[in-house]
Amino acid sequence: MKTNFKVSSKMHLFVIISCVVIALGIAVGTVCHFVAGGFYNYGADWASSKSIVVEYENIDYTSSDKLEEICSTAFSDAGIKSKKVTFVKGTSNTGGKLVYEFMSSTEDEKLNKAVEAIDAKIKADIAVNGNIRLSYPAQSSGQTLPEAGKALWRGGVAAIVLAVCGFVYFLVRYKLSMALGVLLALAHNLALFLSLVALLRVPVGSSVITFAVTVLVLTLFGCCIFFDKVRKNSKDEDNKKLPAIELVDKSANESLKINLFVPACLGAVAALLFVLMSISSLSPLAVISPLALALTAFVCSAYGLLMFVPAVYSRFKLIADKKKNTRVTAVKQKTTG
Amino acid sequence: MGKVKSSIITSILVIAVVVLTFFATVSFNLIGSNGVKRYNSFLSSIHLGSDLTGEAYSLLYPEGVISSARYNLVVNDSDSSEKDEYQKTYDKHGGVYVNKDKMGEELKASVRADAEIIRDRLGEKGYSSFTVSIEDDYVIKISLPTDYTYSAYRNKNTESRSESLQIVSHAVQYLTLDGDMSLRDGTSGAPVLKSTEDFASYFKKIDKYQMGGNHAVRMVLTDEGFEKINKIITAQESGNAVVYVGDTSLGLQFTYGTALTDKTLMYQAEQSYASDFAILMSSVKSGNQISNNYYDADGVKEPSIVSVTSVFGEYAAIYLAVTLLLVTVGAIVYSIVKYKKLGLVCALMVLSYALTIIITALLLGIQITIAGALTALIGLALLVFSNSIVFEAIRKETALGRTIQAAVKVGYKKSLFTILDLHIVMLIVAIVTGIIGAGEVAACGLILFIATVASYVLYWFTRFMWYVLSSPVRDKFKFCGFAREDLDDED
Repeated sequence: MKTNFKVSSKMHLFVIISCVVIALGIAVGTVCHFVAGGFYNYGADWASSKSIVVEYENIDYTSSDKLEEICSTAFSDAGIKSKKVTFVKGTSNTGGKLVYEFMSSTEDEKLNKAVEAIDAKIKADIAVNGNIRLSYPAQSSGQTLPEAGKALWRGGVAAIVLAVCGFVYFLVRYKLSMALGVLLALAHNLALFLSLVALLRVPVGSSVITFAVTVLVLTLFGCCIFFDKVRKNSKDEDNKKLPAIELVDKSANESLKINLFVPACLGAVAALLFVLMSISSLSPLAVISPLALALTAFVCSAYGLLMFVPAVYSRFKLIADKKKNTRVTAVKQKTTG
Repeated sequence: MGKVKSSIITSILVIAVVVLTFFATVSFNLIGSNGVKRYNSFLSSIHLGSDLTGEAYSLLYPEGVISSARYNLVVNDSDSSEKDEYQKTYDKHGGVYVNKDKMGEELKASVRADAEIIRDRLGEKGYSSFTVSIEDDYVIKISLPTDYTYSAYRNKNTESRSESLQIVSHAVQYLTLDGDMSLRDGTSGAPVLKSTEDFASYFKKIDKYQMGGNHAVRMVLTDEGFEKINKIITAQESGNAVVYVGDTSLGLQFTYGTALTDKTLMYQAEQSYASDFAILMSSVKSGNQISNNYYDADGVKEPSIVSVTSVFGEYAAIYLAVTLLLVTVGAIVYSIVKYKKLGLVCALMVLSYALTIIITALLLGIQITIAGALTALIGLALLVFSNSIVFEAIRKETALGRTIQAAVKVGYKKSLFTILDLHIVMLIVAIVTGIIGAGEVAACGLILFIATVASYVLYWFTRFMWYVLSSPVRDKFKFCGFAREDLDDED
């Protein structure tokens, strides 16, 4: 696959796109922090929630399907949508518990309406079938303790240490301009990912830290490929005379295949996995959250590695080359003088 | 290398991979046991995270708070003598019923404080994921991964299933214990220390100790503690003194009549149990004591554990396995299509990589989550692209007119630093995330470390197998799917 994209000439465009997305993400997050109760749209495992628990025993429903149907109808009639459903099997084969979790902002009135509708429907069914029943639909509220704080804090430290290690490694193995490029790539891709998550209001759970780390992993992987191409092309007899911008473009095009293929493959795998899981999941919303996070992570990594980083790095290389030329000229003048 | 030698090496390796793949993926009932005994494959014996096999939760009701189910059971029972009392005593609060006298901000605040202590204790356990939440202001809900293997999850290995549940149950029971640490007589249960003496202050440090496959609670006594405990245990001749937290014995004993010789005490226990005791004692020693007595939904003191299905559904693990299988097949097909017979070498390496990850996860007891599986795929991508990079380098060399042997030598030499850089950077990422990250991130770091090492070893093994497989082949260019540039005929 031979391509000839002139990414370096579009540097301003990429910088503007990134800045706009990051600024929008921060702005939306800040507004939501005050209006909607959080910079991010915290998902089921991090946020407060309200729930409707339907406990049942000895009901003439052979599986939970019938009960689920009753609950779903009651929720849609009340105008509410659950974000997570858990099914708990009871000790006897005929009993169990369905726990529906809702956003904490869901109105109590609507929840009560749904609870009453479920109760009435079950009672009506029992009256028809004449079976003994014990069912307790009840509304609850829950507040998850912020364990996420610790995980976030450690994740943040890991990200900083990774950035420092990446910078030092590329400084030792490559050049200062490339090490700066790696630092910029890591900061840019991570900021873009976190901003997009805030902007798109993707439900955030504990997996966000894992996906943020994935962004860093893919960025470092891609930087290795890209800067290796730059280094090889800089040493190559045919290419070393090329202007910095053209050399960077050539390297970006040569590394495009791998740098696009890895995030695209992982994205496709994640999509396939979550599509399959949505078939059996009790709540499609539970599947959307990790899928959206995964796809956001892979898109950010691919965009950063293919567009933003080569474009910005080309300017770093220009400056570095200019400085090198000045030094060489000065040394030459000294020797001739 | 001769044809015979090459065939022998190839046969041994292929047989080994096929046999390992069989045992890694196929579970079956053992012949002659009437289906009672079962062989569970490596894959079905790997521990899985809560996103694949669901989680276990426990509800802790403080004294004075009962579940709506329990309330309704009594109130709806016309024969119950407690019916009137329940109606008079309890008020509905969300999904629970609270004693009118106890209802209020004070109880809510103390439940919250207790929940925070429990969360901190569970945080020390290093679970891939867990949550502690407060339901209806008064009830603490703890959700932990069950750590089931697939065979346990599908009830094919009941022993492993009950063991996993027992470990979770033990953690919930002991990490939610209320009260202070005390030393009591093993027979009578009476305190052996004066009420003014603070037993917890006798310890300098309490942690979990691990050496080889053995696990223990390590307790380091202070000078004062060493002296006092020695005085107590040497004062009597027979029996023992036992360490308690609240009213529950931890089973850690000091035998009467035998003086302590060392300030560092070791109490051997199973891995998870040792960690529970160490975390509990260390937490209580630091002054983090749970203040309320908690009961389960039926009013029983020992908390009950309930397993729930994963939010991704009952078959999440199967879907993950299918996806991974498709990716592995995809990687194999890609290699064969692109590099013809040389692709078979790559296919062998991809299978070896998958087996390495499965066997290592099994042996090290790594809990696999969806993120962990995706991390393993990054390692697979690393292996496939490392091979792809070097093959392309060799293809370029052959196009320049070199022989295969010379091209391989130059190709590997030229791409050595690229491959090394990729693997070193991935190793750095793995080490940093493994050490600094918490829970799932740390597990992913460990998986990435194994994947990177496996990828690098298999990268070199590819060269060896290439040599072995291609040695007896006459047209090595055809074998690799490479084309050699026609040299200009100067005649």
